[in-house]
Amino acid sequence: MRAGVFAFAVSCALLASGCNSLPGKPAPGPEVPRPESILSPQVLFAQNCSGCHGTEGQHGPATPLASPVYQALVDDATLRRVISRGLPGSMMPAFAQSAGGELTDAQVDSIVRGIRAKWNKGDALKVANLPPYADDGKGDAKAGEQVYANNCANCHGPAGGKIGEAGSVLNPDFMTLMAPQTFRTTVIVGRPDLGMPDWRDQMDSPMTAQQVSDVVAFLMAQKPNAPAGRTQAPQATQGAAHQRALQPRISGGAR
Amino acid sequence: MPWYKQAYDWVERRVQLEGFVKESAEHPVPSKTASWWYVFGSASFVLLLLQIVTGILLALVYVPSAGSAWSSLQVLNHQLPLGWFLRGMHGWGSNFMVAVVLIHMCQVFLFGAYKFPRELTWILGVFLLLMTLGMAFTGQVLRFDQDAYWGLGIGASIMSRVPFIGRQLVEFMLGGPIIAGATLSRFFTLHVFVIPATMLAFASLHVWLVLKLGINEWPTPGRLVKRETYIQEYNELTHKDGVPFFSGAIWKDAMFSAGIVLAVAVCALLLGPIGPTGVPDPTIVQTVPKPDFFFLWIYSALAFLPPSIETPVMLIAPVIGIIVMLVLPFVAGLGEKSWYRRPVAVLLVVVLAAGFATLTHLGTYVPWSPQMDGWSADPVPVHFVDQTKPLERQGAIVFQQKQCRNCHQMGGLGGRRGPSLDDVATRLTEDQLVRQVTQGGGNMPAYGKTLSPAQVTALVAFLETLHPSNQPVAIDASRHVAETNNPAPKEPVEAIRP
Ligand code: HEC
Ligand code: HEC
Ligand code: HEC
Repeated sequence: MRAGVFAFAVSCALLASGCNSLPGKPAPGPEVPRPESILSPQVLFAQNCSGCHGTEGQHGPATPLASPVYQALVDDATLRRVISRGLPGSMMPAFAQSAGGELTDAQVDSIVRGIRAKWNKGDALKVANLPPYADDGKGDAKAGEQVYANNCANCHGPAGGKIGEAGSVLNPDFMTLMAPQTFRTTVIVGRPDLGMPDWRDQMDSPMTAQQVSDVVAFLMAQKPNAPAGRTQAPQATQGAAHQRALQPRISGGAR
Repeated sequence: MPWYKQAYDWVERRVQLEGFVKESAEHPVPSKTASWWYVFGSASFVLLLLQIVTGILLALVYVPSAGSAWSSLQVLNHQLPLGWFLRGMHGWGSNFMVAVVLIHMCQVFLFGAYKFPRELTWILGVFLLLMTLGMAFTGQVLRFDQDAYWGLGIGASIMSRVPFIGRQLVEFMLGGPIIAGATLSRFFTLHVFVIPATMLAFASLHVWLVLKLGINEWPTPGRLVKRETYIQEYNELTHKDGVPFFSGAIWKDAMFSAGIVLAVAVCALLLGPIGPTGVPDPTIVQTVPKPDFFFLWIYSALAFLPPSIETPVMLIAPVIGIIVMLVLPFVAGLGEKSWYRRPVAVLLVVVLAAGFATLTHLGTYVPWSPQMDGWSADPVPVHFVDQTKPLERQGAIVFQQKQCRNCHQMGGLGGRRGPSLDDVATRLTEDQLVRQVTQGGGNMPAYGKTLSPAQVTALVAFLETLHPSNQPVAIDASRHVAETNNPAPKEPVEAIRP
């Protein structure tokens, strides 16, 4: 007992004498912050986005956000809109609380700023005839068929022919799951992380904005149940919280 | 005569404790019991004192109100110098105390020390154990963080299953129908007044009995405890072959207790205070609350019990356990003390210890609780993404978006409620995968209604890519036969609308 008190006193003395960097000393701030008080873009991205877009914004199943071409293509408002409301027709969830998600507007802004600061390499690419982000609806599916044969078929396989090495992009199930914007984004940006070239790096010359719209129109026309002449009726995106509600809660012992 | 001696004599002449203290200190104990095996009781007592001292210091700052409890711990952690260390000492002291008390109990049981005439000592000990656990539980509630909510939730759900009076019990425990300010006041009173006072009284009586009845002699096979002769034999033993407690045996106790207190301090310094975790706010769903480690086994046990027998087991098992402990010295109070001749006792301790250890270990990673942010936080392993085709990648997105990841690991990340899916394609054929996904089963929900046909196709296509590159995919033999009889087109072709 006396020795215990002694040891206690010694350790207290040691502590008081200025070891301020002991591993047990809690770091500033509460141990577990309230979810809405997290504003670090890195943390927010890691918690909310890396599951689908990859830890480093690439090599994930969904759009490679880290691509500098993609960053040149979108503006802040679009990013904010997509993150808040989701991307209609795709499985990108809506994250804003107002849309059923769990992020505050400040957190969405923080993510947008973080993505920009980390991956946006400036507007250098804009000069090089970067096609616009949004589709103007003037794509011609017939012309697009030709663009597909010229620019896509060597990797993805000719329409109606053998599937190419990069896998089918005309598979009806795949088409059903893809949003028109994702086709457009992919044609322009490519999948630099997976070896698909962007709109510039083509067989003969870079694709024109019209060719991009045409090939997307062609692809959308292949969608099962696509009404002729129109691309696709955007289907409402579900919020992240709604997603969560879909999943039965398992509460361990407290059942 | 120096003044302090005079003062001492003045007091002593009135309280007359010297003789008693001297006698107790010098009372002979069997020489073999001055062993390292006998140090856990005194260490428990020292830890109790440590908890009282640190607890009083904490109570100087802690505010027992629902609105301020959590923030007063923040003050301790971040604003008061060494406040965090004090919390660490109290928190780790509690962990150590539970552990040391349990070890003490096992030792007493294995050494047959609960036998005649020490039955009452054992019974007091059983209550002391229960109160130690009670302190641990009420203490974790005082943190009033998400884990506290968890503990109370479990407690309330156990209470609520008591037939007829379940509701009343819950309200009695929580001070109302829900966890609120009244709950905290209730647990504060228990933790700071009721249980410690009872504990001190019981512990003093417990020690008193140890002094009066003597320390249990080292068990020797063949020396049986008989009601008629035991006390006489014990006295002979201590007089023939005894050492005075003070300075003969006590230094080992002192060393060990000092070591334990030091260990508590080291844990506090290196691992820091325990919690508080997030603010207790039921609207925050992204949490996986965890109880302190000595209650983890309850969590695991409840999760593994089939629901049909959960209630009876939960309500009856603890009662039986306590009754068994209380009547033990009356049914097995005589006869053999040595563990060499008590195989059942030894087996019991081993089985119980292994059982609790396993359940606790399982509890440390809560495999049955989904990881709520797995779907959006845990990346699909890069080597899987890199080898997928477009449809399969959409399948990976379905996998994430439908939160399969919350229950299934890939690449070591994700929930553990279901099996890891890194090599699921080697185990299940395409048909089996479709069936598992659409119909669920075995604790997995059925997704047939929440997935579109295209999503099922994509998802299964993705799952079929999940195998190590050197292992073949599972193939349904009958389907193979069907296909050779009725050959499909050789090459898959790009679909195109006519
Ligand atoms: C459940 C998976 C999932 C999560 C989590 C997710 N996304 Fe997405 N995201 C998608 C899908 C699917 C698309 C559509 C593209 C596709 O199908 O590959 C997409 C598209 C996007 C786009 C638009 C791409 C374009 O074409 O302009 C942006 C921007 C984006 N996500 C940002 C984020 C951010 C930021 C987060 C984190 C807050 C996030 N996503 C979390 C699945 C997800
Ligand atoms: C040099 C070869 C190549 C060319 C040319 C090519 N792609 Fe790709 N494409 C790929 C690779 C590689 C991937 C990603 C890996 C995979 O899916 O196998 C891919 C993926 C895609 C995806 C899926 C993207 C995703 O996020 O899942 C789409 C859609 C796509 N390509 C459309 C097209 C279209 C439309 C064209 C023509 C404008 C085209 N590709 C031209 C190689 C190519
Ligand atoms: C609530 C947790 C939970 C969720 C969510 C969940 N699963 Fe499961 N899953 C399980 C459990 C538990 C098992 C084991 C079933 C059994 O033992 O029969 C399992 C088994 C499986 C298996 C069989 C694995 C094997 O090796 O036998 C597959 C495949 C699977 N799940 C896929 C999925 C997919 C795909 C999703 C999303 C659509 C999903 N799971 C969502 C809990 C879950």
